[in-house]
Amino acid sequence: MSPLEIGLLILLVLIALFAIGMPIAFALGAVSIGTLLLIDGFRSLDILGETFFSGLNSFTLVSIPMFILMGAAVSNSPAGKDLYEALDRWLNRVPGGLVLSNLGACSLFAALSGSSPATCAAIGKMGIPEMRKRGYPDEISAGSIAAGGTLGILIPPSITMIVYGIATETSIGRLFLAGVIPGMMLTSIFMAWTLYSCWRSGLTMSDVTQHYSLRQKFEILPRVLPFMAIVAGILFVLYGGVATPSEAAGVGALFCLVLVVVVYKMFSARPFLAMFRDSTKESVMIMMIIAASELFAFTLSSTFVTQSIAGWISDLEVNRWVLMAIINVFLLIAGFFLPPVAVILMTAPILLPIITSAGFDPYWFAVILTINMEIGLITPPVGLNLYVINSIAPDISLGTILRGSLPYVMCMILAIVILCIFPQIVTFLPDLVMGAGI
Amino acid sequence: AQAETLKASHQFPGGKGDARDEMVQLFAKELAAANVGLDVQVYPGQSLYKAKEQWGALTKGQLDITSFPLDYASGRVPQFSATLMPGLVRNHDRAKRLNDSPFMDQIKKLVEDSGAIVIADAWLGGAFASKKGCITSPESIKGQVTRAAGPAFEQMLVGAGASISSMASSEIYTGMQTGVLDATNTSSGSFVSYRLYEQVKCLTEPGENALWFMYEPMLISKETYDRLTPEQQAAVMAAGKKAEEYFDKEAAGLDAKMVDAFKGAGVEIVSMSKDDYDAWLAIAKETAYKEFAEKVPGGQELIDAALAVE
Amino acid sequence: MKRFVSIVETLSRLCGLTSMLLIAASTLVVSQMVFIRYFLGASTVWQTEFVVYAMIASTFIGAPYVLLLKGHVSVDLLPGLIGGAGKRLLDALAAILSLMFCALLGWSGWHYFYEALSKGWTTDTVWALPLWIPLLPLPLGVAILCLQYIAEIYKSWTLAEETPA
Ligand code: NA
Ligand code: NA
Repeated sequence: MSPLEIGLLILLVLIALFAIGMPIAFALGAVSIGTLLLIDGFRSLDILGETFFSGLNSFTLVSIPMFILMGAAVSNSPAGKDLYEALDRWLNRVPGGLVLSNLGACSLFAALSGSSPATCAAIGKMGIPEMRKRGYPDEISAGSIAAGGTLGILIPPSITMIVYGIATETSIGRLFLAGVIPGMMLTSIFMAWTLYSCWRSGLTMSDVTQHYSLRQKFEILPRVLPFMAIVAGILFVLYGGVATPSEAAGVGALFCLVLVVVVYKMFSARPFLAMFRDSTKESVMIMMIIAASELFAFTLSSTFVTQSIAGWISDLEVNRWVLMAIINVFLLIAGFFLPPVAVILMTAPILLPIITSAGFDPYWFAVILTINMEIGLITPPVGLNLYVINSIAPDISLGTILRGSLPYVMCMILAIVILCIFPQIVTFLPDLVMGAGI
Repeated sequence: AQAETLKASHQFPGGKGDARDEMVQLFAKELAAANVGLDVQVYPGQSLYKAKEQWGALTKGQLDITSFPLDYASGRVPQFSATLMPGLVRNHDRAKRLNDSPFMDQIKKLVEDSGAIVIADAWLGGAFASKKGCITSPESIKGQVTRAAGPAFEQMLVGAGASISSMASSEIYTGMQTGVLDATNTSSGSFVSYRLYEQVKCLTEPGENALWFMYEPMLISKETYDRLTPEQQAAVMAAGKKAEEYFDKEAAGLDAKMVDAFKGAGVEIVSMSKDDYDAWLAIAKETAYKEFAEKVPGGQELIDAALAVE
Repeated sequence: MKRFVSIVETLSRLCGLTSMLLIAASTLVVSQMVFIRYFLGASTVWQTEFVVYAMIASTFIGAPYVLLLKGHVSVDLLPGLIGGAGKRLLDALAAILSLMFCALLGWSGWHYFYEALSKGWTTDTVWALPLWIPLLPLPLGVAILCLQYIAEIYKSWTLAEETPA
């Protein structure tokens, strides 16, 4: 069998294992060790444990559980609610203010959390009931929050960017910077679309139900500003020469934990247990996928599949933009089914050499990849954010959530197109802060 | 009959002119040309095994050939730390004399006892560089946050008053860029391939008195070697010899290439005087050497044997 | 068998708690390391390694607990689609295949651990920690993960018998 045939066979078996519902980590591990056993015999069992261990043996990876803990600390506190309320009190009288505060809160919360479902849940708990109370259609309420939640992985810190950085040996600090302006751009596109669809459905957007006094506007700030200070602090630590991303994540997690205690006077063990349970659940799941992906990558390289795919694609000699379009479609399809971390780990080692030899910037590609993954979070059959909304507002049907989300998929595709035409939107900030890249 | 394919792995960038990659590629070409039924498939840039995993795979017979910084295996064979010990080599001419000394006989015996055989010797020179000022005497590194390669260097640098931050070599550039790191020491090749000249103010070139030398031989798995016919074994060793000769010519060139690149980028270049070197050596004797002699069986003998070489 | 399930689940919860404590400890140690280096300008010798090994340990030790919480993410599209007895069959198949893989992983991890212990390997750093210490969580956690998988398979079968589809 040629390497490409082996690769196809591995892909088919993997799809079958995913389809019967094997956890992603164990499916990746099983197909890898199965292949190695068939090709190299029983001696390949020797490397199984060592590869799983060495796949995790990296200080850079430490940033993942740390950033997850930071997000969990904030999600399990009333911080999301306060953030939302603060924006609402301030933007209340602006036409469409509710939309602006919803999506604004999503992008601010995204700056505290590395994951999209966490962002979606934290803001959705407040935002969806409030929109429905004020007569916004269910579709718009659910769709805008589902989409706003996806900003969690584009605006730093971002778990998927960290995973990309590790898989491709690119700088995590630089990847984070690359996501900032596209994140703001996407937030604005979301806002514009939401306002437009509100207007189209005949909503009067200055339907102010409640007036807030200046005092009410200011009294909420002390509960919100400390978390914004942490965001600023992490940025300073990362780019001001104090610490590496992993260290910044650890310090950020500690500060968030302390702040939650101080601001919300959480002195009982229960909320802490919830924070640590949530973060353990997520980080163990991700780390197991990372360890298994190490074995998967080894298997593909050892059987020469990785090298053959790269060679095959460069022999095709297609136009680089055609290539980029094909890669985008491929990523979109993978994202329909798989969580972002798994897609990145499985594809980055194969895609990166292809991308760079076609003359694309790896940091720019990281942003394109991330927006593709964001689309996957709000599309069927497996869209994490859809489920989150469904659990927050069980009386809105999945179909309605889906219909509401679909226009935002178009917004994201538009964003990808804009970034393809103007790649400077991605590279401007990293170049400004860190100088031209290596 | 169809030729058997041997797997060769290394951690260096492939196809981009890195002398260590070229060395392995040359070996592969020579062995194929020998026509003894052996082919070599090269996996560069950690595309098969991670750098430090290579030793385990090699000694278990899963990997056939590697170009490997021997110090990476010092967790398993502590004596290998002597091959990245500050000031033990000094310059390329002495490195060559070291290869045929009782010191290297002991090291190679340990390699063989672990399940691998040296097919080509290779010593790499390295340098210091800093964003703050030139690193010459031990005093000049005081208070700088430094990234070092290997524990022996870390011990010596701490002894000189530097503070250590450990990170992957791929993070050095960003570390310097963001200011987490003031100084670093690593091989000449890495200084160029990570483009550190964009970040540093001053480079301490290896020259006549270099502290930093690392042994990165090409190795073959003993299990693989023993399986080969005598004719194939001879071909492997002959191809290894060619690779070694090639690298020998390149090694000093690597240092020159680094100096050119840094000069071109406007970086100040200095070298260590004999006094500087002796001052460092005095610190190394109190820190890295002492630790090595105390903790490693036969450690003192190894150091003595290395220092005894003219 | 019920007793086996409850013992295993208690064990898994203990693992979960250990995993959480390891993450908490890493957070403290990372912060301490930044403080020492940035404010005191001193060297940090053992912290980086400690944090990495604590994270690895928290992953492997935490794996059985996360299985108990059904937290190892999967694409359970097909089983959900067909439902009923077909779903039970697919669930069982997926669980058995996962169990087989985990058994291999645990066995291989045990060998690696045992080799490091018997040959006295250390980490290749100044700290020179005996390597078996960071390696132990792999076979230990994965062994309990296997037990938890057996418990899960048993639970899903007995549950199916009690509530016929
Ligand atoms: Na984020
Ligand atoms: Na999806």
